[in-house]
Amino acid sequence: MITPVLITAATLALLAGPLGCFVVWRRMAYFGDGLAHSALLGVAISLLIGISNQLGMILIAIAFAVALIWLRTQRLLATDTLLGILAHAALSLGIVSMALLGMEDAEVHDYLLGSLDSVSPDMLPILVLGSGLSLGLLMRLWPGLLLMTTSEELAHAEGVPVRVYEFLLMLLMGVVVAGAVQLVGALLITSLLIIPASTARLFAKSPEAMGVGGSLIACLSMVIGLPVAEQMAVPIGPAIVSFSVALFLVALSTKLLIDWAKAKRAAA
Amino acid sequence: MNTSNLLISADNLCASRQGRLVLDHVSLDLAENDFITLIGPNGAGKSVLLRHLLKLETGQSGSVTHRDGLKIGYVPERFQIDPTLPMPVKRFLGLNNELKPDAIQTLAAETHCEALLERPLAGLSGGELQRVLLARALAASPQVLMLDEPAQNLDVSGQLQFYQLIEEIFEKRDLSVLMVSHDLHLVMSSTRRVVCMYHHICCSGAPESVARDPEFISMFGKDMAQMMSVYQHSHNHDHNSENEAAS
Repeated sequence: MITPVLITAATLALLAGPLGCFVVWRRMAYFGDGLAHSALLGVAISLLIGISNQLGMILIAIAFAVALIWLRTQRLLATDTLLGILAHAALSLGIVSMALLGMEDAEVHDYLLGSLDSVSPDMLPILVLGSGLSLGLLMRLWPGLLLMTTSEELAHAEGVPVRVYEFLLMLLMGVVVAGAVQLVGALLITSLLIIPASTARLFAKSPEAMGVGGSLIACLSMVIGLPVAEQMAVPIGPAIVSFSVALFLVALSTKLLIDWAKAKRAAA
Repeated sequence: MNTSNLLISADNLCASRQGRLVLDHVSLDLAENDFITLIGPNGAGKSVLLRHLLKLETGQSGSVTHRDGLKIGYVPERFQIDPTLPMPVKRFLGLNNELKPDAIQTLAAETHCEALLERPLAGLSGGELQRVLLARALAASPQVLMLDEPAQNLDVSGQLQFYQLIEEIFEKRDLSVLMVSHDLHLVMSSTRRVVCMYHHICCSGAPESVARDPEFISMFGKDMAQMMSVYQHSHNHDHNSENEAAS
């Protein structure tokens, strides 16, 4: 059982690395949280109408992104306020609907914090394929997305369809959410995106290095965190995230040490 | 004006922001080898006009026509890069285009950016950043260079150097310049035409005639007009001798 799950987790992590860079650069962490919380509503809806969980979550992610983009153009409220409203509305509605549909508390808990029990084996190949295709799409969009992150106005003037790109970026985040909810849990998905990217940032000198570094670090967290969590019989999501935070702390102290040594040598 | 050398033509453009008309029947033509400096008080709609000329926005009425295959290099007014994005200048110049490393070198030499190529974009000073943005705008060999208050965050000597660089590029390259700038006295010698706007085009023409225009004087005051005529004098001279040499 564990090996197919590990392969799936590793492909998701490969996608989460470079995607997480955009979450960091474009300050979309709160958006990622909102998207992840709304995934629970997606699970409830897919139960209700009888489609697969992943499909339900992707559909809700699209609805979430469209609602956010539309509400933002109305300029009624600040984006973080809108996100707060949308995210918590989706989270509450999701949990209430799950309870009404007769889901056990333990099962809801699994969706919040991740569990191997909730992973259905027949979904794994689709998840691997989905993250692979998403990674391919991300690589295609990479230069345009980078330009747009550097300066949206410049990208627009140079003919990058910025609204389309923005939507596709949100969609890709939806794919990661749909793929990772059952493994890591809705509460912790954003950390899968931002912690590896932030760790890679400490040493990266180019955007590509940060993306690749993020991928490797996310993979490492998954590949080590998953078996350890199973061995110790602790919730998977928190175990993986704890491990990646540990990696981040090691990297951060190394970086600070190197900088300190450099400053000292320069002063001498 | 001969229509065949027109690059951009705006015809009776109207646009509003938050229910207020910011462009009120604006018509403006940019031809080959033009150097237009666009001036006007804050909130006059200069940046909005630029965005329309770039076709980043479309107005309520009126039209903007580009010559077929027109390439525009653009230096936006605001540029702020998140420091978490590690972007060396070299990578930025070659981003989303097919620029070869030696083409990047040449471009950097032209805009005095050679020493900056390995530095991260987020760590540049105001003047350095403007030169890099200028290089980026020139990367696609545009026929038009549009700059939106490119020197507003520079100190006086930085402004002077930057405008000199623009002049150099204007002389060396086969392109037209459209620039929003308040530093009219510094760009006088290269400006062929000043367009003064406040939602509509108030007056336009050669710098010396604009400086005498009553609308210009009422908008910018006598001091500015006088200052312009002072700079005008030497400019007239240069311009004439240049024309004579050419003919």
